Amino acid sequence: MRPRFPSVAFMLIAIAVASGCQKHADTTKADPLLRAYDTEADWTDAQHVIPLNYRQAQGKRLFYQYCVWCHADATPAGPSNRSNLTPVPALLNDGATLNTESDEYIQNIITLGGSALGKSAMMPPYGRMLSTEEIRALIAFTRAIAQPPYQLPGRPGSQYSAK
Amino acid sequence: MSAEQMGKLTYRMRLVFALSSVLFLAVLAISPFKDYRREWKQYKRSYLRFAQGRPDTKKLLADYDPNIDQIWLPGMNVVDRCTTCHQGITQASLADNSVPEPFRAHPLIPHNVRDWGCTVCHRGQGPATEVAEAHESTLAWEQPVLPTRFMQASCGTCHQADLPQTPQVARGRKLLTELNCQGCHRLPDIDRPKMLGPDLSSVGTKVSREWIYKWLKAPRTIVDKDGNVTVNGYETEEEPRMPKFRLTDEEIRGLSAYLASQHAGPLPTYKIDSRVVAAWSKNPELASQGELRFRQMFCSTCHSLAVTRAGETKLIGGDIGPELTKVGSKVKPDWLIAWLRDPQGYLPHTRMPRYGWSDEDLYKVTQYITANLTDSDLLSDVPKLGPPTEAEIQLGRRLFLEKGCASCHVIEGVSPQKDFGPDLSALGGKNASDLEFSNARIPHNLLSYIQAKLRDPVSVNPAARMPQYNWTPSDLDAVTTALLTMKGPPPTSALQNLVVQRKEVDFHPTGDFAEVYERYRCYTCHKFNGLGGDLAPDLTYEGSRAQRQWLVEFLKNPQTLRPTLTLRMPQFNMSDKDAATLADYITMVLQHPAANPAAFDAKQFTPAMVSLGKQLYEVKYQCQSCHTIGGTGGYVGPNLNNAGNWLTPAWIEAWLRNPQALIPDTIEPRRNFTGEEKQALTAYLMTLRVATKPPQKTADVTGSRRAGQGVGR
Repeated sequence: MRPRFPSVAFMLIAIAVASGCQKHADTTKADPLLRAYDTEADWTDAQHVIPLNYRQAQGKRLFYQYCVWCHADATPAGPSNRSNLTPVPALLNDGATLNTESDEYIQNIITLGGSALGKSAMMPPYGRMLSTEEIRALIAFTRAIAQPPYQLPGRPGSQYSAK
Repeated sequence: MSAEQMGKLTYRMRLVFALSSVLFLAVLAISPFKDYRREWKQYKRSYLRFAQGRPDTKKLLADYDPNIDQIWLPGMNVVDRCTTCHQGITQASLADNSVPEPFRAHPLIPHNVRDWGCTVCHRGQGPATEVAEAHESTLAWEQPVLPTRFMQASCGTCHQADLPQTPQVARGRKLLTELNCQGCHRLPDIDRPKMLGPDLSSVGTKVSREWIYKWLKAPRTIVDKDGNVTVNGYETEEEPRMPKFRLTDEEIRGLSAYLASQHAGPLPTYKIDSRVVAAWSKNPELASQGELRFRQMFCSTCHSLAVTRAGETKLIGGDIGPELTKVGSKVKPDWLIAWLRDPQGYLPHTRMPRYGWSDEDLYKVTQYITANLTDSDLLSDVPKLGPPTEAEIQLGRRLFLEKGCASCHVIEGVSPQKDFGPDLSALGGKNASDLEFSNARIPHNLLSYIQAKLRDPVSVNPAARMPQYNWTPSDLDAVTTALLTMKGPPPTSALQNLVVQRKEVDFHPTGDFAEVYERYRCYTCHKFNGLGGDLAPDLTYEGSRAQRQWLVEFLKNPQTLRPTLTLRMPQFNMSDKDAATLADYITMVLQHPAANPAAFDAKQFTPAMVSLGKQLYEVKYQCQSCHTIGGTGGYVGPNLNNAGNWLTPAWIEAWLRNPQALIPDTIEPRRNFTGEEKQALTAYLMTLRVATKPPQKTADVTGSRRAGQGVGR
């Protein structure tokens, strides 16, 4: 019995090692952009690609359909309408202006238009065209591309880390 | 050992027995311990702790159960235990990116997780209870979770019509159509163009053998070391439709000989009026006048030219037709004249309209093309080929079939091999073990296979006949996504019933209109009842929008006042009769029920309404942020200088009520105007007129739909 013990132990260890290795053999997730629904190149640095989740990607789509004409300096059609307007509309990635505004405020101004909030009437209301979720998606996209980056207001529980 | 001793327990035996009992107990204890340590149980406990740290603990734990959770949908073959670990999947308050996985909520999509399960869209192994088994390929399960980047493929599996939420699928499907993948492969639900590659039955009348040789060597594209595609030496983002085949010099000699000897249809000869030639041939302005006419007719809406500005060369113009920078060195002059006069005579299915040419315009433009759009070095690297020999032609004829040329290009009397490439209608659901990887050093999964095959077909199959395409990374992903949608027939009838078919669209005009509509190929750019191109405005309801007289003038002399627009409606040199035929049909038939001109009396407008309307336009609603009147205002919407001659009052009124009811994807904001405001704005806009003479008409070439040649990335 005695001489057998080491071999049994060795086999047990070998099985344990083998099964342990197998679990990690396949877990190679290299490209973080594989987990992004869509991406947007940082407006201030084209080399920096920002991953977007589903909601942010929907916001991006809506932005390029409705908002890009006045809230960007380059549009799919070429020149931007931004320079035609006074006061000049904020660029969508202008973190210095938009990061300090709450989601609720931005949602109101998109829904009700500029004049309802004492701002320029040149910003039309979109509340009758876009759903609440669509407007929230637009805000999510705004936050995703902001420069300087947008910091989520602190929330209890947000310090939690998985596992 | 004696008999007494056998019945006795020695001290040593007791010790062994005691020790083995303890050992056995310990081994037994491993089982509950291992059970306690199971991955999913750890996630269960971890969620409990996580939820207790959140302000809405009660809601998060309302249906907490420490056991395995499972979505079972027998009709759809779904047994998904994913929610065992992904416990916050339906909790709206956990949608944020800051929430750690696996607890984050699913984004808000039109499908509820409880009704659909997870693996129907995400793939992976639903019944698995270990992270690795659920998400990755195992020996027993070869459908790993689909990375989010390709997630839209799952939407496309059921939604055969394109959804606004899935632009990547739409782009991929469009590329599969445009690159003529249908020529060789069976691809379900991809449009098959009437003409794949051009008909080559008479290509010998069009180009020389030397040009064909050069083209086959590098079909228009040259990729430099940075991977940039160049067309005739100019950089472009457009993927040419002709891919590169791996042909030897001998094969190219054979094919060029065979093709250069194709003269099925004799070239109609046309002599340009000798007086026109006499008047212009010695004129030093001939080419520049031709260029002017080329520009005025807006050939650039479909064809691009390379332009060098500030040291940077760019292709300017549309991509409906071929790029023309060096076309003068490509086509034979007689062919060019015959083609311009009657494109359908050479290619019955071409999208090129038949223009009403005057001899003078025809002479000027063809002279411009043959004199200026040339490159004397274009064929300098082609070896001396000489006249085709019979042996070369024989070889070419054989290669034309064997290389798959015949799958896209028609030659009269040559029938292509059936099913030249594999059927791809179930590619998206294949297991890795069904695929051939050859010696490719890539991960053995479906995704890597598709991308490797598209990028370099011989990398996974040295004998591949598939030609070489040159993809941008985003186009490669888009085509991959579109191919992943094709999972073959749904495995259950419940899934079959979920398939959202594409809407059949049809537009069959009749009579004189149909003839003019076909001749000018209106549908290349415009949509009618969902059928046609999307470069120019949808004309389904144009009859409600535009006044008849304006239409006539516009058709004869299309102009635009959108300053940002580069692609405009071509100048067709339309006769009065053609313009009247089109305008009559449009105003009679292409009507929207919500904007009935007969129900609207423009006589009711008073000066008071007009001044109220002007004030609303300028002050309250500030429409000038997007629309221009008299040179001031924005670029986004169409110019309204001539709104009174262009639009019908009924349309304006209906448009102000609900623009999206008339044109679903217009970006005009829908506002809540009162009846009085709508009337006043309509009254004001109807006063905006530009005198008809001199002709300074305003026109809306892109329509109110969009301000440019495409919206999106």
